[in-house]
Amino acid sequence: MFNKYRLNSVLILFSIFSAVIFSELFVLQVLDNEENAQQIENQNFEVFYIPAARGEIFDINGNKLASSILEPYLFLNLKKINEDNKKTYIQLIQFNFKEISNSEIEEFFQSKDLFIKIINLSQYDPEIRIRLLDFEAFEVFNLPTRSYPYNELFSHVIGYVGNPNNDEQNNFPNSINNKLVGKTGLERYYENIISGTASEVIVQNGNIVEIKPSVSGKDIQLVLNTKTQNVVKESLQEGILLANKNFETTNMIERGAVVVQKIDTGEIVSMVSLPDFDPNQFVLGISEFDFKQLNRTQAFNNFAIQGLYPPGSVFKVVAYWLALNEGIFPETAINAQDYIDCEGSLSFGFDDGSKQVYQDWKPDGHGKVNLSQAMKQSCNVYFWDIALKIWRTFGNTDSEALLQEYSKQLGFSSLSNIDLPFEKQGVVPDRELFEEWTISRPELVRPEGWLGGDLMNLIIGQGAITTTPVQVSNAYRTLLTGEKSSPFLSLESSNNIIEQINISDEFVKFLLDDLNLVTNPGGTAYKSFQIMGDQIFDIGGKTGTAQNAGDLNNTSWFVGIDSISDPKYIVVTVVEEGGSGSAVAAPISRRIIQHLRESELTPVEFGEITE
Amino acid sequence: MINRKITLLGPEGTNLYVIFQFLLFNVISWFTLFNITSELSFSLENILVRQIIFTILGLIVFFFFTYIPISNIISLSNILMVSSTLLLLGVLFTEESLGARRRYDLGIFDFQPSEFTKVVFVIFLANALSKKTNNFLTIGLVITNLLLIYIQPDLGTTVILLLLVFFMFFLTEIKFKNIVAFSLLTFIAFFVLLEFNLVNTFQIDRITDFYSNEVKDFSQQQSRLQISLGGFLGENLSNTSNIDIFVPVQTTDFIFSSFSKSFGFLGCVILLSFWFIFGFRVYSLIIKTESNFEKFLLSGFMILLYLQIFINIATVLGLIPLTGDPFPLLSLGGSSIIAISSIFGIINRIFIENNLVI
Repeated sequence: MFNKYRLNSVLILFSIFSAVIFSELFVLQVLDNEENAQQIENQNFEVFYIPAARGEIFDINGNKLASSILEPYLFLNLKKINEDNKKTYIQLIQFNFKEISNSEIEEFFQSKDLFIKIINLSQYDPEIRIRLLDFEAFEVFNLPTRSYPYNELFSHVIGYVGNPNNDEQNNFPNSINNKLVGKTGLERYYENIISGTASEVIVQNGNIVEIKPSVSGKDIQLVLNTKTQNVVKESLQEGILLANKNFETTNMIERGAVVVQKIDTGEIVSMVSLPDFDPNQFVLGISEFDFKQLNRTQAFNNFAIQGLYPPGSVFKVVAYWLALNEGIFPETAINAQDYIDCEGSLSFGFDDGSKQVYQDWKPDGHGKVNLSQAMKQSCNVYFWDIALKIWRTFGNTDSEALLQEYSKQLGFSSLSNIDLPFEKQGVVPDRELFEEWTISRPELVRPEGWLGGDLMNLIIGQGAITTTPVQVSNAYRTLLTGEKSSPFLSLESSNNIIEQINISDEFVKFLLDDLNLVTNPGGTAYKSFQIMGDQIFDIGGKTGTAQNAGDLNNTSWFVGIDSISDPKYIVVTVVEEGGSGSAVAAPISRRIIQHLRESELTPVEFGEITE
Repeated sequence: MINRKITLLGPEGTNLYVIFQFLLFNVISWFTLFNITSELSFSLENILVRQIIFTILGLIVFFFFTYIPISNIISLSNILMVSSTLLLLGVLFTEESLGARRRYDLGIFDFQPSEFTKVVFVIFLANALSKKTNNFLTIGLVITNLLLIYIQPDLGTTVILLLLVFFMFFLTEIKFKNIVAFSLLTFIAFFVLLEFNLVNTFQIDRITDFYSNEVKDFSQQQSRLQISLGGFLGENLSNTSNIDIFVPVQTTDFIFSSFSKSFGFLGCVILLSFWFIFGFRVYSLIIKTESNFEKFLLSGFMILLYLQIFINIATVLGLIPLTGDPFPLLSLGGSSIIAISSIFGIINRIFIENNLVI
């Protein structure tokens, strides 16, 4: 039963509590107000910040790609140094740490900081530490050190860290007290998650009154695979070496990128860009000379997301999809199976009566080709015929940008929104863009504006169009799954489906079969894949060789599919000025596909020059 | 039971006092938080925006409970207790943050199941005590929940719940010798835990340090200075210059410290007076209602709220060691607001069912 009298006694007890609280508040706020205000004025707190340990980064198998190690450092509290004891401390430092020069010691005492870092104690006998801490001006704080055990291997993906500039201090508030910020890569993209908050050492009149502990940053789990990354890097390096041997170009071939993407999820299994750099160099500070040298070779660019290249024939899948979806085929063909005659060139008349001749890469022509054969042999004439059909049907109408709409649907000319900073988006040209450029960048366009010829260039991935390797990989993934989503490196960014696109299983099968023809006898990449024996009947791909302006060598492309019967990975390889796609990019991809299929690896060999 | 017509502000017979009181406490919290940030941006990062969203969620919970008859709450009490146990078990498998596993990460805010447990404890005990079903299962569930919160670790909440259990048993006809036995058992249990190393030494250190050291804990010492700075009328009205003081978690555990600085002694008197007025209204309801369950429920809720307030203020004043308990409806925090909204909603329902015009 409820006892009312006991409730009353609880009330009396609570009234006593309240009375205590009120009297305490009254004393503090009314009676001692002035006195305490004075005390606050005299507090003279100063704060010294100790950086927090950044979160660590792991690959899919738990290998540590970026680590943070806490090590004890000896600090000197300069507020406690005066003329009398200065000598003692100088002697103590000289005696215990022979490697510190006298001029360095002199510099310590000139510093304006609250505490000055003397030396890392981790290699020294713990006895020294105990002995030194008996002297009141010495303090030991743990400082984190960032290190990258795989050195160059993940340079572009992981990025590097450095001192924050003003902009970075505004955008990433933690970086002010940590005195460190992610400059590129994942270190940058996940800065707010990975950085943690610095520890605060509150000092009053030279004495530490309070240490607020730091909060370490959160670890990041990646989907990258270190084994694959190793094979990819080796293959790309071998391929670039071979390309330099086989081509006589004015420029050294040294830049390239590979993206390996998992088809079902969109996760990035490997991403390599060359040339690369060692992020460890930045931890202790890189010399200006080294930095400039790396910058000159464009080592800081991640070409997988920042390299803007015309895609060449790998772009033909867009027209391939459009043709089957819209039923648009060359004038003389009824359907995809119907053949046209490729004589190696295409000529057609403009409205003004002049004639234009387009020359295929194969002067004698490909003979009789249908859509599948055009993919296999990378026949330009067939695709030009499709462009002409689009131009003649829709030219100068609202539906004119049909091909552009299809390519935009696949993600071209927009950011893939991968979890990396500073991605570039490239362009897919159309009439509006040309009109805009006539005003803003007249050097890029002819005064006539957008013409049918521009569309014919676009359909084979040439001309003004630019794309990044990751865009190409993601576009192929969309075509194979019907799922439009952002590729990702970290599980933090998984599950980001943007849109479902209507793509039939029938189309996927048709596309895979035709990509398979490319690596089979008669296909442009046959010579590069020949070494894999019977496996070639289960592999697919598309070569691309994109012309560059001026006397630059062509950009070498290959998009590979590891298996036709059970497609798991897309491998996109680009070698800048690498020449023919079938000769350079295809054999690099072949070695990577060998690894993905768990077959024996054979060296990268120079392939056949086509296109 | 009467079928009550639904009106906009609650079922038939609603009066506006409880909702007014609830909103008033929330608005005071907004002003306090605004004084801390002085930021007017519409993002989820802004604590004021977050608190306003929590208030709105709280209102929804408040009205939800206003529409639930008390008889339903009685029948739900066992299920609630079991779900509280499961939630507390589940939280042990979440990711550790700041050395404890206390919350579920729900995206925009973290759900702290121990706040839910506080409310459930009162309902469960009120039901058990009014029906005299003090069997082993009842005691077992109570002890399990206490232990689960204790090992999170969350000593502050454990102490509040222990005191709550003590006071609620005290309100029954239980003999004094049993109360003494209960206290003794708690002590013995504590030392058994200590013996088996199940007590976190840092929690014990915090307590022993507090009573052995001459110097107060740095945060508490700073917090006292900050309170003092408020003076009689508060910094807002008397225009004191802004001086840096190192008071941690100003928006949650130490919010009373910033409140006192902003609104002074007068503000503290007014805020606590509102709580006392609310207490006396509820007291008159306890006397009036004939249901034993409602008597226990209302007393339990008020004891819970007042304990939290006393302990929070005593902490920021440095009278007791740091506990980390929030100030009801003043501290920033979704779980706490929503739990207390359900208390206010249930109290409102009891007012309605007793047709008490106030």
